[in-house]
Amino acid sequence: MQEDYTYVVLADDDEDDRLFFVEAFEELKIKTKVDVYKDGIELMDALNQEDSMLPNILFLDLNMPKKSGLECLIDIKANNRFKDMAIAIYSTSASEEDIENTFVQGANIYIKKPSAFNDLKKILSDVVTVNWQYHTNGLDKENFLLRL
Amino acid sequence: MPLRFITNSERFLKIIFGLTLFVVLVMGGLAYRYVKELTKSIDEVQHNYEVHILLEKMVSALKDAESGKRGYIITKDSTFLEPLLTNSDTFQYSLAQLEELTKKNPEQQKNIEELRTKVEKNLAIFQKTLQLANNNNIDSPEFIEAFKEGRRTMNSVRFKIKQMAAHETNILGTSRAKSYKNLNNAPMVVYYVIILSLLILLLTYLHISRSLKILKEKNELLETFKKSTTQSEIISKHGNWIWHVEDNIYEYSDNLYRLLGEEPQSFEPNLENYLSFVHPDDIEKLTQHVEEMKENEDLPFIHYRVIQKNGIIKHFKAYAKLLVDSDGYKRLLGTTADITDEIENYRIIEKRNLELERSNKELSSFNYVASHDLQEPLRKIQTFLSRLEDKEKDNLSNNGQLYIERIKSSTSRMRSLIDDLLQFSRTNKSEEALADSNINILLETAKHDLAEIIADKRARISSDSIPSMRVIPFQIKQLFLNLLSNSLKYSREKTAPIITISYSRTNASALPNVKYSKYYAYHTITIQDNGIGFDQEYAEKIFVLFNRLHNKTEYSGTGIGLSICKKIVENHNGYITAYGNPDIGATFTVYLPIT
Repeated sequence: MQEDYTYVVLADDDEDDRLFFVEAFEELKIKTKVDVYKDGIELMDALNQEDSMLPNILFLDLNMPKKSGLECLIDIKANNRFKDMAIAIYSTSASEEDIENTFVQGANIYIKKPSAFNDLKKILSDVVTVNWQYHTNGLDKENFLLRL
Repeated sequence: MPLRFITNSERFLKIIFGLTLFVVLVMGGLAYRYVKELTKSIDEVQHNYEVHILLEKMVSALKDAESGKRGYIITKDSTFLEPLLTNSDTFQYSLAQLEELTKKNPEQQKNIEELRTKVEKNLAIFQKTLQLANNNNIDSPEFIEAFKEGRRTMNSVRFKIKQMAAHETNILGTSRAKSYKNLNNAPMVVYYVIILSLLILLLTYLHISRSLKILKEKNELLETFKKSTTQSEIISKHGNWIWHVEDNIYEYSDNLYRLLGEEPQSFEPNLENYLSFVHPDDIEKLTQHVEEMKENEDLPFIHYRVIQKNGIIKHFKAYAKLLVDSDGYKRLLGTTADITDEIENYRIIEKRNLELERSNKELSSFNYVASHDLQEPLRKIQTFLSRLEDKEKDNLSNNGQLYIERIKSSTSRMRSLIDDLLQFSRTNKSEEALADSNINILLETAKHDLAEIIADKRARISSDSIPSMRVIPFQIKQLFLNLLSNSLKYSREKTAPIITISYSRTNASALPNVKYSKYYAYHTITIQDNGIGFDQEYAEKIFVLFNRLHNKTEYSGTGIGLSICKKIVENHNGYITAYGNPDIGATFTVYLPIT
């Protein structure tokens, strides 16, 4: 793993969201490498390759065809190889049920997709620059959902 | 008391009857005894009288003989001797009669024997005297001696007869004295016994007439009760039946026949006839229940169906309990009710429940669609708009930029509509979510969420300390959020909003517009502002979904916020009221039950 940039991966079935995501990082002045996958199967295949490079932060959409974000989260948390990976849930809805489930399964943060591009940029910038070690220690249900 | 009275009176009557019978028997016995005694007494007198007459007869015959003898001696006329001849026989006859009369009296018998000897001796002397007189020896000492002797025996006979008469009188006297005593008491005793009988009779009459009166009253009561039972049977669609355990006989009430769709008492009440109405699928079950009933002398609640002759199926429910009366006679009192309506209603409710469940499911899938699928494109539009604004603003004409502004305002309005609608549909009642909550903290959280607008409008919010309550926390937070943002939104121009939140307790009876409440008292939270207020005539209307009092260009409401408030308060079994005063302010009062 290279130390001079942050490796970010997104799994999202929505083409537009993938576009916004990539564009936001392009405009941010943070050294990042961004990869996107269009569903859970594709993501897990890529992660499970032995020589694959593991992302620093993984953004997971919940509502995906074939394999949902929650299922990916459960698989990832069951595998010790991915223990250093920060996982951000990245979803349109912010229902109590979804928040509760992903928190229990060990996600690090819950992001509700914003409706303005500038908000998206700010959120992604904040998430990428967070010291995840520190954040995880003080994590509780109250600060799990990211508020702007 | 009435039943006991009747049993008592039955016993009382038995006693009275026994007593009367006894008294009458005693009376009869006494009367018989008195009559018997009287007859005996009369007999004794008669007997005595006869003895006296016989004795008198003998004395007079002796006298006649004596005087005849003396006449003959003086005149020698043999006609003087006639009585003497007849009297000899008379004596013998009289003596025999006397003997017969007094044969029960040994003393008199002895006297008679003595008398007979004396009379015979007298008669012998008589003959001797007459013989001496015939031979003209009347001056001889022998004659004189015989004459004197005749007088002596004569006197001795007389004395004996006197003695016998005295003895007889004596006997009569004693027995008379005895029977007199008894007979004197007899009328008194009979009189008293009759009085006593009359008294008993009177008492019995009074008692019976009283019992009859009570019986009549009870009968009337029973009659009324019977009528009302018949009536209630018809109204509540049930019939009564009795099973006489020992005789295995059934009795069915009229309405039981009606429940079967038959004329009252149109068939013989027995099990076989009854079973002919029972639904074929239930016959086995019912027969088994009846067998158990006969064995246990009890019938718990059972359900079965019957088919009336017109083909209509009815659902019945039956129950019976054993009654043992004071004579130990056993009857099973049963009630059978037609519960067809109940079951049909239950089915309707069940059907409606299913429909409700289905529409609830539809609603939650709508929730999902609204929360996810509807928001998705909207968010895209907003994001692309922001991209357009950022990147292409310079390439647009003024009009183009205005249109973009309009699109932005419409999309944000649509977003708040969707958010509020979702909030409304998610505001459901769930018992599990109830928790003892610090209401003050929930209020602070709501204020925190509104911090920006509070700062912008320079609003001042003051609040009392509110005690803890058992509520659904996020809903109460939402309630404060909606009420506060309502007050902030409808503030008067150029006037800083002042919102006062106060707490008190209200008794259920003091609640406005609430007639019945299952709680005694309510927490009362009042949110008062100095905003634009509203006309009191809209106080009810503002809680109705999508109801707005203002044009949306003046104030940016969706018309859902207060509906959510009402729903939240109702979820907590509470009430919410609004009081408005145009241009002065509005007051919202929330009543939550103290549990």
